[in-house]
Amino acid sequence: MKKIIPLLLLFFAVTNCEKDDICSEDTATTSLLYIEFYNNNNQENRKNVFNFRAQGVGNENPLEDFNVVTSNKVFLPLKTTENQTQFKLHNNYEIDDNGTPEDDSDDFITGNEDIITISYLATEVYVSRACGFKTVFENVTISIEDDGDKWIDFIQSTTDNEPITNATEAHFNLFH
Amino acid sequence: MQPKHTLTSFISLLSLFMLFCVSVHAQNDSIVKAKNDAIKQEQKYGIRIGGDLGKLVRTVLDDDYKGFEIMADFRLTKRWYIAGEIGTEESTQSNDYLNSTASGTYFKAGADYNSYTNWFGMHNMIYGGFRMGASTFNQTLNSFSVYSQNQYWTPQFSSNEAMKFSGLSALWAEFIIGIKAEVLPNLFVGINAQLKSMISQDQPENFENIYIPGFNRTYDSGKFGVGYGYNISYLIPLFKKNK
Repeated sequence: MKKIIPLLLLFFAVTNCEKDDICSEDTATTSLLYIEFYNNNNQENRKNVFNFRAQGVGNENPLEDFNVVTSNKVFLPLKTTENQTQFKLHNNYEIDDNGTPEDDSDDFITGNEDIITISYLATEVYVSRACGFKTVFENVTISIEDDGDKWIDFIQSTTDNEPITNATEAHFNLFH
Repeated sequence: MQPKHTLTSFISLLSLFMLFCVSVHAQNDSIVKAKNDAIKQEQKYGIRIGGDLGKLVRTVLDDDYKGFEIMADFRLTKRWYIAGEIGTEESTQSNDYLNSTASGTYFKAGADYNSYTNWFGMHNMIYGGFRMGASTFNQTLNSFSVYSQNQYWTPQFSSNEAMKFSGLSALWAEFIIGIKAEVLPNLFVGINAQLKSMISQDQPENFENIYIPGFNRTYDSGKFGVGYGYNISYLIPLFKKNK
């Protein structure tokens, strides 16, 4: 009897703490789209893009990790609310101050910007009670808007049209 | 404020009973042994029927919960009772990404073993037991939003279209420990704690059982569940037997 009561009380104390519902960062949730950059003249080799900048069409900010950097890959977040996301991929992004560093109004951006359109079918897949649902992207295709001066030659799928569930391997290769 | 007050006084009342039991136990050791050979105990046998007060209180206080449970036990021998519970529950569970409601009925049957040696004329129980539990229920996913670590595009996709998964069932085994104290002739109050282990369950497609009536909430980490009960019950004495 004397042993059981503290045991009971302990049991109630333990079971009343139910706040273990935190989604761990290791859990595979909605994936980013992973694109690697290759040299179009030597298609086995990766090739850097200098002063690379990626910004979503309709978003005021560039991607934090790809705001004027040297990179041979990019991770793009896709909209889970729509079946299409557009990105501006900028090669050699630079702000030319037109010889007047104090005056911002006559600044212009140099380099080459291409707009890509990523189309897909977004499906919701259950993960766990803490993480809820994730979005899996199926039938992903990418098209490049032809502005007459493309720095991107072409973009090719590497996944044989598999749904995008994680970003451990590249989903697309970009040749330039 | 009033119901909370009632609950507090109920709990303190219950603790008082526990203390009472402890002191009785102390006397038990010293006196019964001395008079061991002189007493022939007559003990009451019968069916004890009651309900879970805790579930009723929660139904009143908690908007996301409705529950009702009837319990009964029948004394087989000096120490063994067959016991069971039948009940109905509806519970809504929610967090930032999910909101779902489970509702259904459950049935549990098993046996309790009274480990407490009563002093003359007393019928208290400190027991351990086991149950098999079964539930049929349905689960409704009321709303959800997509989880994404990257928040470049906000908000993420969300759905408020309720999806109902009907005709689900679950089967589990349960260990129970508790006490029942006779506070008035034939009237018992008790508390118990339950540890449950899932044997089988139907999972809804592209979702899972977040809550199962009778089993309570499920855990990501495994097949175990927990529960507790505060019950009040009445013994209908049927016959008496010498121990």
